Amino acid sequence: MSAAASTPVLCSHCLLPIRGYGHERQVQGEDHPFCCYGCCLAFQVARGEGEESEAAWLLIRLGIGAFLAMNIMLFSLLLYSGTFEQADAEVRQVVHLVLWVLATPALLILGWPLFQETWRAATARRLTSATLISLGAGMAYAYSALAVVMGGSEVYFDTATMLLLLFTLGRYLEASGRARAMRDLAPMLAAEREGVTVVDGGTEMRIPAREVTIGTLALVRPGERIALDGVVVEGSSHVDEAVITGESRPVAKGPGVAVLSGSINHDGALLIRSTGPGTATRWARIARSVRQALAQQSHAQRLADRIAAGFVPVVLVLAGLTILFWAQRTSFDEALLTGLAVLVVACPCGLGLAGALATTLGIGRLARRGCLVRGGQVVEELSGVRVVAFDKTGTLTSGATCVTGIETDGTPADEVLRVAAGLERSSEHPVARAVVKAATQRRVSPALVRPARAVPGRGILGEVAGQPVAVGSGAWFAEIGWQVPVGLVGGAHRLEAAGDSLIYVGWAGQVRGVLALGDALLPEARATVQAVRGMGLHTVLLTGDRAEAADRIAAEVGVNACEAGLPPESKQAALARWRGRRGPVAMIGDGLNDAPVLAAADVGIAVGSATDLARETAEIVLPEGGLRLLPWVIGLSWAVRRTIITNLLWAFGYNSIGLALAVSGHLQPILAAVLMAGSSLLVVANSLRLERFADLSDGSRPVDASAFERRALRHRTRPRGSTPQPAA
Amino acid sequence: MIEYSLIFLAGVAGSWHCVGMCGGFACALGSDPRGRAATLGRQLTYNLGRVTTYCFIGGLVGFLATGLGTSGADAPPTSGAQRILAITSGLLMVFIGLQFLGWLRRSHGLPRTGFGGQLLARALRDLLRAPGPAAPLAFGVFNGFLPCPLVYAFAAQAAASGGALPGLLVMLAFGLGTFPAMLLMGGLGGWLSRAGQVPGGILPLRWRQRGVAFAGAFIVLLGLITFARGIVPMGGHLHAL
Repeated sequence: MSAAASTPVLCSHCLLPIRGYGHERQVQGEDHPFCCYGCCLAFQVARGEGEESEAAWLLIRLGIGAFLAMNIMLFSLLLYSGTFEQADAEVRQVVHLVLWVLATPALLILGWPLFQETWRAATARRLTSATLISLGAGMAYAYSALAVVMGGSEVYFDTATMLLLLFTLGRYLEASGRARAMRDLAPMLAAEREGVTVVDGGTEMRIPAREVTIGTLALVRPGERIALDGVVVEGSSHVDEAVITGESRPVAKGPGVAVLSGSINHDGALLIRSTGPGTATRWARIARSVRQALAQQSHAQRLADRIAAGFVPVVLVLAGLTILFWAQRTSFDEALLTGLAVLVVACPCGLGLAGALATTLGIGRLARRGCLVRGGQVVEELSGVRVVAFDKTGTLTSGATCVTGIETDGTPADEVLRVAAGLERSSEHPVARAVVKAATQRRVSPALVRPARAVPGRGILGEVAGQPVAVGSGAWFAEIGWQVPVGLVGGAHRLEAAGDSLIYVGWAGQVRGVLALGDALLPEARATVQAVRGMGLHTVLLTGDRAEAADRIAAEVGVNACEAGLPPESKQAALARWRGRRGPVAMIGDGLNDAPVLAAADVGIAVGSATDLARETAEIVLPEGGLRLLPWVIGLSWAVRRTIITNLLWAFGYNSIGLALAVSGHLQPILAAVLMAGSSLLVVANSLRLERFADLSDGSRPVDASAFERRALRHRTRPRGSTPQPAA
Repeated sequence: MIEYSLIFLAGVAGSWHCVGMCGGFACALGSDPRGRAATLGRQLTYNLGRVTTYCFIGGLVGFLATGLGTSGADAPPTSGAQRILAITSGLLMVFIGLQFLGWLRRSHGLPRTGFGGQLLARALRDLLRAPGPAAPLAFGVFNGFLPCPLVYAFAAQAAASGGALPGLLVMLAFGLGTFPAMLLMGGLGGWLSRAGQVPGGILPLRWRQRGVAFAGAFIVLLGLITFARGIVPMGGHLHAL
């Protein structure tokens, strides 16, 4: 015990010093060291909260059932291993009687819910997996009871009770697995039920978010979810708005700054005044959408359900035939056991879960990043897409006019911009605003201009320090008779060829510079398109714009193909063409001007438009500025499809092999029950792997929400820089 | 019978380890307001459930392991498979025993997210608070399945014991060995909670460490015996020790 010389780390639970590698685990937000996994569990038991009496009642039944079943199993094992062989037949009779006495309550305790389910299904003329198990256990029990009365040599009470126990255990584990899958989804559904701490003159009160009205004052503590749209009145903190914006980087919030419902408050308490009713927040709309999406079953699931429904009667017949077949060749005992094994192993439990669980997890993962889908089938359809078509304006580009280039006759560009901005400053025209914005970005202060004459749509004439200055179209300058210097003609042509519209700037009777105005590419556009291409998908740009402008954008982002000058109807025709050439097409647009085109695509994806999927023609809505999420969304849909396929293969393959073994008499019924329970558990485990599908990385830091929260709690005091703004 | 006595003693010594972990449960189950007899009944029911699980594990692994060899039940390990089993079990026990002694670092990779574990923990938590006489029994049953190196060590021995009955007896001896300390903890539970003490904290740490080390020594000894039964040609006589 030399290690005890330095102060040893003590296990949080049993207080023994931890030697070597301990086990560290977070329990209720605090780090605790444990000496072993058992202590870690025990600690959670002791410290956990939440009293669920119904769960407790179920567990008591399961525990008592397990107690009885284990005793029955022990006696049976002793019987099988011949411990009582030397004893005379009377002792065996007594043991059989004891088994019967133990098995009767076990059958009732464990089997009752299953018998009820069987009965309910039977009255509705349906057969379920519970039917198979009830029948199997009932048969084994009845046969054994008869054997005891008639003085038979073999009893199968262990089979009867273990079947029920394993089936119940499997269901319990499976249910817990599903509950775990839903754990992350639950907040997405609970937007209107989420509690809000309302502050009213010194008193605090919890109300559900749906009762929040305009002007409600609410306190949000660190770690809590903000459940109302509003403005910070007091306090400062960092919040995670991933649910709304898809951006999991923390955003700094202080007094006067707007906060969005659904974001998670990280490190400081915030006092927030509501700016809208609790039912009208974007988060509440997201919650409604997710709820609707979950209600829509995927194609795969519908198929699996249909197969499962037809499976049960087939298995019943098969089990009957198996018993008949083997009864003629071996003893009736063995034939019965073989039939039981067939009943049990063919239980199609995993099949029912295969698609539903994976799709639900996928929808949940997407929703947590603010991405909404219309239903499970959309995830499935997206995974089959071969062509991704992008709309240009508002999707790959910002959709707002800005200055994309400046050519001068040798005058400094800033000087040209200074004059242009001075002239345009008073105008509200989008072009004018783009010029002023460009000047601001280059830190050029606009010249002081005395405006003289403005011709809407043509140009503006003014005076700087007594000198005439002008800005406007080339035609306008020709009109007022100002010359374009020879040195500038080439540059102007170059800009025009790139597809931009030009404005000329001049003073003292001569044009001095040309500004190109165009639609700026979004900073993430190129990376997104390249990532989609890297996934082996064909990328297409479809736009109604002129070919020159479209080609420039196409070259910059690097799409495979570009079709320009398309009116909306032609876009739909183009989609049909691509579908015929390459396969299913996804169309990405802003959802405003291209609604019919999105509807015509196999999967319509809208970026940052209406949050109400019900009023949306797109099947998928990405959050505002969420173009960069596209590759991740497609990747996730692939992962979901992979999971569904492996689940189905597993469930089918497992059932077929198990069935073959059982029919041929190579499977013990109890072993069959273990295999069957294992089958659905594996489906759950395989689906839960989706949780580990890499989250989108923002910047350099890999994003793991829980890890991040932990870090945020630890470094509560360290100031964090605000989000870097993307360059316009 | 000496072997079972050794196992019993190892259980007694090992229960100093149990006091830390499962002793907390015994305390939490607490005393029954209807008096001492009822409290004792509650604690006994809990321990009955726990030991039943141990016995089930022992009997099952013993039975399954017999299937490996062609020899009949409770026979000396003659087949190759049985020998290999005895050697592996023995080594595993020595390994666990040395960990208890603090001579080996614990290196078993503990599951990071441990879904099954979380589930078990939640199940136990719900049961701990449930009223009624059946809850302690159910609690004991699940408690028995909690991951525990002591249980692993003796389950290994049960597997090498050569049959359902000896396997059951191994675990029964171990389980009964843990009775005194656990019952004591259960009886003290009410008093402890009034005194505001942590269950593991009442005993001097040094005592508990000694108890754990003692258990480790027993396990190493038993492991060596099991190991020897796989190596020594006429291993049968060691079993009859």
